[in-house]
Amino acid sequence: MFACRHQYIWKRIDNKVSKGLVITGVLSLMVLALPVAAEAEGKKLGDESDGSRAHSIHVIPLLTEEGDRIAPDDDPLLPFSMRQTCGECHSYQIIGNGWHFNAPDANAAPGRPGQPSIFSDARTGTQIPLSYRPWPGTYKPEQLGLTPRQFTRRFGSHTPGGGAGELDTPLDDEIMREMVSGKLEINCLSCHNADPAHNQGDFAGQIARENFRWAGAATTGIATASGSARDMPDTYDPVMPDPLDDPKLVPPAISYKQGIFDSKKWVFFDIKREVPSHRCYFCHSNLYIENEHTEKWSTDEDIHMTAGLSCVDCHRNGIDHNTVRGYEGEASVSKNHIAAESSCEGCHLGEKSSAEPVAGRFGAPVPQHPGIPPAHFERLTCTACHSGPWPGEETVLTKTSRAHRLGTIGVNKSHEALPHVISPVFATQGDGKIAPHKLLWPAFWGSLKDGQVEPVAFDAVGKILGETLADLKRLRSGDWPAFTAEHITGGLKTLASDKSIEGTPVYISGGKLHKLDDSGALSVEDHAAAEPYLWPIAHDVRPAAQALGIRYCTDCHATDAPFFFGNVAVDSPVVSERQDVKKMYDFQDIDVTYAKAFAFSFVFRPWMKAVALCSCAVLAAVLLLYVLKALAFVAKLLGEED
Amino acid sequence: MFKIITIVGFAVTLAGIVLHRLISPSGPRKAKKTQSDKGKSSLLLVLRRLVYLLALLSFVVLVITGFYPLLVLGEHISGYLVMLHATFAPVFAVCLAVLALMWADKCRIDYNEYPVMRRIVRLLTGTKAADEEAPCKNSGPGQKIAFWLIILLALPLILSIVVILLGYSGTHQQEWFLAAHRYIALVFSLIAIIHTYLLTRMQAR
Repeated sequence: MFACRHQYIWKRIDNKVSKGLVITGVLSLMVLALPVAAEAEGKKLGDESDGSRAHSIHVIPLLTEEGDRIAPDDDPLLPFSMRQTCGECHSYQIIGNGWHFNAPDANAAPGRPGQPSIFSDARTGTQIPLSYRPWPGTYKPEQLGLTPRQFTRRFGSHTPGGGAGELDTPLDDEIMREMVSGKLEINCLSCHNADPAHNQGDFAGQIARENFRWAGAATTGIATASGSARDMPDTYDPVMPDPLDDPKLVPPAISYKQGIFDSKKWVFFDIKREVPSHRCYFCHSNLYIENEHTEKWSTDEDIHMTAGLSCVDCHRNGIDHNTVRGYEGEASVSKNHIAAESSCEGCHLGEKSSAEPVAGRFGAPVPQHPGIPPAHFERLTCTACHSGPWPGEETVLTKTSRAHRLGTIGVNKSHEALPHVISPVFATQGDGKIAPHKLLWPAFWGSLKDGQVEPVAFDAVGKILGETLADLKRLRSGDWPAFTAEHITGGLKTLASDKSIEGTPVYISGGKLHKLDDSGALSVEDHAAAEPYLWPIAHDVRPAAQALGIRYCTDCHATDAPFFFGNVAVDSPVVSERQDVKKMYDFQDIDVTYAKAFAFSFVFRPWMKAVALCSCAVLAAVLLLYVLKALAFVAKLLGEED
Repeated sequence: MFKIITIVGFAVTLAGIVLHRLISPSGPRKAKKTQSDKGKSSLLLVLRRLVYLLALLSFVVLVITGFYPLLVLGEHISGYLVMLHATFAPVFAVCLAVLALMWADKCRIDYNEYPVMRRIVRLLTGTKAADEEAPCKNSGPGQKIAFWLIILLALPLILSIVVILLGYSGTHQQEWFLAAHRYIALVFSLIAIIHTYLLTRMQAR
């Protein structure tokens, strides 16, 4: 009896304690979540415009990472944090979900495949498209053994910060480094700073030195950063720095220009809500190596820019930074309510579902497309005829800001510098329409398991194959070294002997999978992993007078027209594979015989018109003759006397 | 919409032909060869027949390639079908022009063949006018009307495409011309079927 009561009391106590713990936990969570909820629900001062079209003047205090105000006489002087400084009036969390920052967010709609981050390394014959977004054909950075921090160090230079730069490292070894370097916050000023002294190129330099915490402030023009967090020991504390053992090492530091702080120790920023186009160009420039004349002055800008528009006139967003990408069909996956009317058709033709006429925005001319049969609009994107370089017999090497670090100090200006991006390739995209694309042939060492190819972690490749590939002479141009079949065979054998590699070692290059057969000889076969990655070209848009088809149908429908029959270069580190070419139709869902026959039919097109017109003339003459005869009969009948 | 109109159009026409066949099993008697016909070279007659057969073949190909994708596949003509269509279209146009020259006189409309017209003329003029030219008995009145309608419709049918090919019309004009081509082609085809039916009926006698 007593035992029972005893048990009962203890059970009650247990229950009470459990309930108490639960209630305490819930309350604690609520308290902790309160600021987040308040931020999510309550709009901040700068989240919503009051309707004035005038620019908002930004004279604001600078705040550190911890939210403390910065004064010019602080010691140590800390870099201002965008999260804190801009976040005072703008919801940083909401902005952080925007297109430029949400790649690692699994819930973000990936939309149409876009430009990946291309990891290239001439030494190991590697060129592989990476993306946190689930774009088919790309690999996740972690598949190549890159932590978010390593990814940021490699690719952060041409981002506006945020995204992977703010992810926590999964490696214990990196946690201390993360404390030293800080995280790469969103650099709002990458885009919104209209100060001509803003130096986005320095962002790359700071990131290379792992000065993530200092990078944003260093670019602004009001401050300069020195030193290198990369050289600091794991125990280095930037807030309370101890003297360094090695006097040659320079700790990361920031210095603000004299006179930027006003009497309240506030700072003026020349902020533009409408981002200047040259800020976009830092990450979104293209250089088509069509000929030797690649200088900026000898090429034209996008016709929209020439017409006086800026990038953000079409690529708009609100506080959520859910920027319109501008492709056809985006409205079905985008939450941006003007996505549909911001596409080519949206401005030039008008959004058909709109209750009001919306065509002609920005004075966009409504195209007549004389002589272009309507079927073209069902099978081609607008960009197919209007964007990218005019197609030649051969595709051309193309350099992009993000792939080739254009605009940074010490960039390799060689035309052959890796990665080898090829364009324009007229390929069928996801919606079934043909569009011009940029293309990348993947090249990497991997392992084949259950029919799937998984890349071998890049660090492991370097370590395992270091000696095997040691004799390859690296070129100053940044081009591929001269890989031979022997190098591939040797590399595969070395990988096979390494126990850390699971599955069959393979090397992907030139659109082929290379592996060793049972006899140890190199065999080459097709595989999905060797397929090239393509992403659509949207800009530069050419004027109507330079669109495909402007001269005649044979711009595309000739038996040798590059649109269908042009050569697409196959890129490979392996010398013997570099002569291979694909045809443009290999990337289009079309029947080659039909394409050729159809193109050939245009030889007879003028005859057909002549025959049809002559036939019409004869028919009209016969008709006229008998109409006249009938008239004569009527006239005769009516003219007869009684 | 066009699909429904097409199906209804073909169904009504074929039903009409079947009904006509049932109501009037024996067709009009074919006229005996006149002296002038006998004088014509047999080569010309063979040529006329060949042209007609070629026109008929082209017509069948054009109807199939034109209406099959629309009625069966539910899409506009494309691919090999459009090439086939474009190949046979000029052949058909030429045949039509030649047939127009060869048959026009044979198919001239004699108002005496049409009692209604005769009555109207008599009402208007009060005369009993008769055509000085000998009435053509080689073709029935329905066949003649069908023939002239075919010639009349052939012009917009061909020109609606030629205008597009000439490359001066914009997207919306082209869409309009294509729609016009489709509807005219439908009416043209129905009349051509009727004409062929009437012709074969007469030939069968």
